[in-house]
Amino acid sequence: MRADAVRGHLDGLLLAVLEPGPLHGYAIITAVQRRSGGALELRTGTIYPALQRLERLGLLSSSWDAVGERRRRRYALTDAGARALATERTAWNEFTAAIGSVLNPAT
Amino acid sequence: MTAPGPTAPGARPAEARDPIEDYAAALTGALRGPSRLKARMVEEIRDGLADTVAAHTGEGVPYPDAVRRAVQEFGTADELVPGCQRELTIAQARHTGRVAALTVPFLAGCWFLTWTSGPGDGWPLRLLSVHLGCVAAAAALLAAVALTATGPLARRLPTPRRLPLAVAWSGTAAGVAMGIGALALLTAAAPAANWPLMAVAGALTAVSHAGVTASARACRHCARA
Repeated sequence: MRADAVRGHLDGLLLAVLEPGPLHGYAIITAVQRRSGGALELRTGTIYPALQRLERLGLLSSSWDAVGERRRRRYALTDAGARALATERTAWNEFTAAIGSVLNPAT
Repeated sequence: MTAPGPTAPGARPAEARDPIEDYAAALTGALRGPSRLKARMVEEIRDGLADTVAAHTGEGVPYPDAVRRAVQEFGTADELVPGCQRELTIAQARHTGRVAALTVPFLAGCWFLTWTSGPGDGWPLRLLSVHLGCVAAAAALLAAVALTATGPLARRLPTPRRLPLAVAWSGTAAGVAMGIGALALLTAAAPAANWPLMAVAGALTAVSHAGVTASARACRHCARA
């Protein structure tokens, strides 16, 4: 899937991979790639400002986490983020159902 | 003197500059914004890039090729700058908005106290105070709107692209109003009966002027970056 098409759904993708639990930036990147089977063309560095924006909107929270000698910023879904994800899923399902019914009409 | 030995596959050549640090330095040089958030953003991106490089070298890819592949996947520093700068600009606008929204009501209280505690003369100063107060209050109102529009409300409504610049210039206007107000208060304090209160109000206004003006200037730089 092309990068500009993915960009419009980046918020939903990031919220979805954080649903099981908090992750740091690189783990979020690998989770998106693993779930998509590597099919999404995404400049992975662009997730960092996107994470910052989602945190500003109150959809994510973050804190520093010490890993050995390094520290990493871990992101977690907030209650508002979980609600936004549910809304995003509903909208996506309605969208794909509508497009699918046009592209593949029942015969 | 012995020649340096061959570099192990996946290891960074010891004598070469680290391209990951160069990447982080390029981001640091290109971005403008609140220093803590900027440092945090660059640190996270640098670590993410280093993790991506490590994943490739772990598969046996030589270090220079691993870096090349990682940057290709990650995006170049130039490609990342616009998204990062937008967030930093909004963060700076929110900071300027908070400073203006907090200091203006406080100063309005100070000026009101100065007014009510003194004798009934000094009309020019009072008229000036009203005008300056109106400018500062308008700036504070816009700052409060900006804080709301870039906070939770932004989940539903897109943030106008020119909002940070509007906050920057209204902060500048508030800063100028505070500067003139401080000068007027300190000048008028000398012959006044309630000079200690006026001097304190003038000093507080001068401090606020410095804070708001500096933040608004940083916001203008971010919005232009």
